Amino acid sequence: MVEVNGPKIYTYLFGNPSLPITETMVNYWIVMVFILLLCLFLTSKMEKIPKAKQAIAEKIVTMIDGLVDQNMGKNCRQYSPFIATLMFSSVFGSLSSMFTLRSVTGDLNTTLGWALIVFGLIIYNKIKTNGFVGFLKGFAEPIWVMAPLNILSEFATPISMSFRHFGNIAGGLVISTLMLSALSALSSAVGLPIPLFQIGIPGVTSLYFDLFAACIQAFIFSMLTMAYVGSARE
Amino acid sequence: MGFQQFVSIGGWEILVTLVNTLITFLIVKFLLFKPVRKILAARAEEVQNMYDQAEADLNEAAKMKKDYAESIANAKHEANEITQSATRRATVRSEEILAEANRQVQDMKKKAEQSIEQERKKAMNEIKDEIAGLSVMIASKVVEKDINEDDHKRMIEDFIDKVG
Repeated sequence: MVEVNGPKIYTYLFGNPSLPITETMVNYWIVMVFILLLCLFLTSKMEKIPKAKQAIAEKIVTMIDGLVDQNMGKNCRQYSPFIATLMFSSVFGSLSSMFTLRSVTGDLNTTLGWALIVFGLIIYNKIKTNGFVGFLKGFAEPIWVMAPLNILSEFATPISMSFRHFGNIAGGLVISTLMLSALSALSSAVGLPIPLFQIGIPGVTSLYFDLFAACIQAFIFSMLTMAYVGSARE
Repeated sequence: MGFQQFVSIGGWEILVTLVNTLITFLIVKFLLFKPVRKILAARAEEVQNMYDQAEADLNEAAKMKKDYAESIANAKHEANEITQSATRRATVRSEEILAEANRQVQDMKKKAEQSIEQERKKAMNEIKDEIAGLSVMIASKVVEKDINEDDHKRMIEDFIDKVG
């Protein structure tokens, strides 16, 4: 019997059943501590002539600044830390599955939360750039009949972003779980006392479903964020 | 310990995500971007300073080169002038010396001519005296008569003067 579950609920805050403390939250906190330690490590004892770890820190910053410049246009560097936050959280949140933690991004609440922030940024930048009236007029482009579709596409943006990310990671999780149980069943069908087939094969598939999917989804999410927010500023 | 739905949406969970993301954002911003950007800016400033310094040095060097070239040109010019004036002075001086020498030679020549003339006159006078004396002697011998020698001398000199 194979069961693919959502995140575990460890406890309820104040015993309130609507305030669960889930596996996703705890894993996110672990990822945050990791990011905190990573930042502290990379930026400790910085000198004018960089050593290896400082060079990595500088490379990360300049790379993300470069991506932001390239995809959002000039004068958008204030968004670089946010893009970096998305990238780090997404990559490490997805890769936490490599350390037997349930992926933080395998929970729709996480990706939807990020997508809502992006949605807020898009709306904020559109209003800031065009004014509130201009923002409303933008929905009637190219003709007023298009307004419902425009509004729909505005809301479709965060939904598609969050479901894409969630779906990729959760899909990998499901496939990994299914494959593990299938290999276990195969092992017992062959008559092995322990599921020997579980050794090796999941590691190879995990390269794709965990490592590759994690990196590519983090990249896609960040790129889409930059593209949407960047175009909202035009 | 229960499980959540595989696909679930909850306001509380999203709120926690937002707070977590905000905290992560603050961590990334103030512990990674701020210090790294600070050090990058410091380095950029240092490099800029070095370039500025180098450019200033270069300008100074160019200026010094120009100054040197100017002073060398001046020195050459001065040297030329000195040589020319020296040459001029030397020419003038040599002409002066030559003129002086010429003058001296002329003087000496004149003096020599004068002295020759004097000598000649003196010799003429002496010859005259002698001739007169001789004439008187001869005449006295001839006439055997003592006439006043002075009268005779005068007469003879007149004669000689008339003769030439």
